[in-house]
Amino acid sequence: MKQFLLKFWGHCVRLTARWPSIGSIAPFIPVIAAWWIVTELQTFPRVFLPGPAEVVRSFGSLVYMGILPAYLQDSIVRLAVGAFWGIALGIPLGILVGLSQRARTALWPLLLFFQAIGDIAWLPILVIWFGYGLTTITVVIVYTVIFPVVLNTVLGVRSIPITLHRAAQSLGASRIRMLWEVVLPGALPNIVTGLRNGLGYGWRALIATEIIVGTSGIGFLMFDARRSGSVVEILLGMIILGILWYIVDSWILAPIERATGQRWGLVTR
Amino acid sequence: MKNLTIRNLSKTYFDPYAGTNVTAVHDVSLNVGQGEFVCIVGPSGCGKTTILNMIAGFIPHTGGEILVGGRPVKGPGPDRGVVFQSFALFPWRTVLENVAFGPKMRGVRKAEREKIAHEYLALAKLTEAAGRYPAELSGGMQQRVGVVRALANEPDVLLMDEPFASVDAQTRMTLQEELTRIWQEKRPTVIFITHDVAEAVFLANRVIALSKGRVLEEIDVDLPRPRSWDSLNDDARFKELSGRVRQLVRSA
Repeated sequence: MKQFLLKFWGHCVRLTARWPSIGSIAPFIPVIAAWWIVTELQTFPRVFLPGPAEVVRSFGSLVYMGILPAYLQDSIVRLAVGAFWGIALGIPLGILVGLSQRARTALWPLLLFFQAIGDIAWLPILVIWFGYGLTTITVVIVYTVIFPVVLNTVLGVRSIPITLHRAAQSLGASRIRMLWEVVLPGALPNIVTGLRNGLGYGWRALIATEIIVGTSGIGFLMFDARRSGSVVEILLGMIILGILWYIVDSWILAPIERATGQRWGLVTR
Repeated sequence: MKNLTIRNLSKTYFDPYAGTNVTAVHDVSLNVGQGEFVCIVGPSGCGKTTILNMIAGFIPHTGGEILVGGRPVKGPGPDRGVVFQSFALFPWRTVLENVAFGPKMRGVRKAEREKIAHEYLALAKLTEAAGRYPAELSGGMQQRVGVVRALANEPDVLLMDEPFASVDAQTRMTLQEELTRIWQEKRPTVIFITHDVAEAVFLANRVIALSKGRVLEEIDVDLPRPRSWDSLNDDARFKELSGRVRQLVRSA
């Protein structure tokens, strides 16, 4: 028995070394197993807590009907559009506030004030202004993404050692080139942190917004399922949210971090 | 390379805690000829780094004038290369890109500036490190990069602010010997700030002893070159000169 276990363990180690993604799936196995056992034991009525098999079946049928791919695409496009504008506005604003004392004095109180009015708190007035459409959703996501990006960019810009500015100046860098050569790369690790937070909040805001004003998307799918009493689809929606974020984080954000701050020794591993 | 003239330089600033004006640098005058190696030595707080920062143009001076090649200093510029105590290498640039940074800002083409950078890296025996990032190098190697990065931009004056203060004693001696070798090969005009009397005498043609923001005395160092610690450690003239400078700095 011991022999067999050791052999099995060795096999697992080799397998995860060969395909690292298996290692990141492994932690979910006990969770799914526990879920399966609880549903099999019929602790709760099946209508309230369906098992993994039913969720997988519902996933299959929703994909087959084309609803899930379409909703998924809608949600991802909305997040991407919102994130794009959040980044495109947030980084320059953060650099301005980080570099200029005057801009900081003028804008900092405003930033803090508007940050406090949470994204969802804007929904009532946005619905009156823009109706139940893409504009409302985009505004909410941009609003959510922009604050973590701005605040972290400011932090990043201000944490660049003054000697780096001085070194670049005495090597002949103009003010414009300083932005590209010193300020932006120096703030980049913080900017990525801001993006990570911003996208995380943006993702949640998107789902909330879809629940309230959406006509499609993962949030809408879940809310629609509640109306029709389909707990399976609600669970499916929740699982998809988790998986999608995992993919965004490990396929997009983590590689950027590895290639920048970690490579440059600015962030300790 | 051009000469540097400092006339009646002073720096006064307002200390908000004490509520009074503080004079950090007091009426300093100094002439550094082309190709000369001058060390300014003094205890911490004597105003030596303030002088260097004013020459570099990082902070404004409040009195007197600073002329490089006859032109007054108005701010930082590529005519005055700076080597920092904290190295100040760009962490996101490889060693080669760091050294090529000055020429890049001048608009030198990529192939040409990389050739320049390789030449200077070879001068400091850093050819192997060209593709690495600063964080992957030891402190001594990082400062070698710092020195050749400043030199590769061919400044009129090279300003060095306690560049070897944060490396270990053995590495420091090697770096000092290498600096004298590179200086003899390229003959830049150098102003070198240090609190280490032996270092000042070892490197310089002329040592300026500074205390409380004033120049105490200028001492010419007539030791032969090339200099090495092996030959100078027991050299009577070296001991005599260092003894004199040490006495000056400590008595003030």
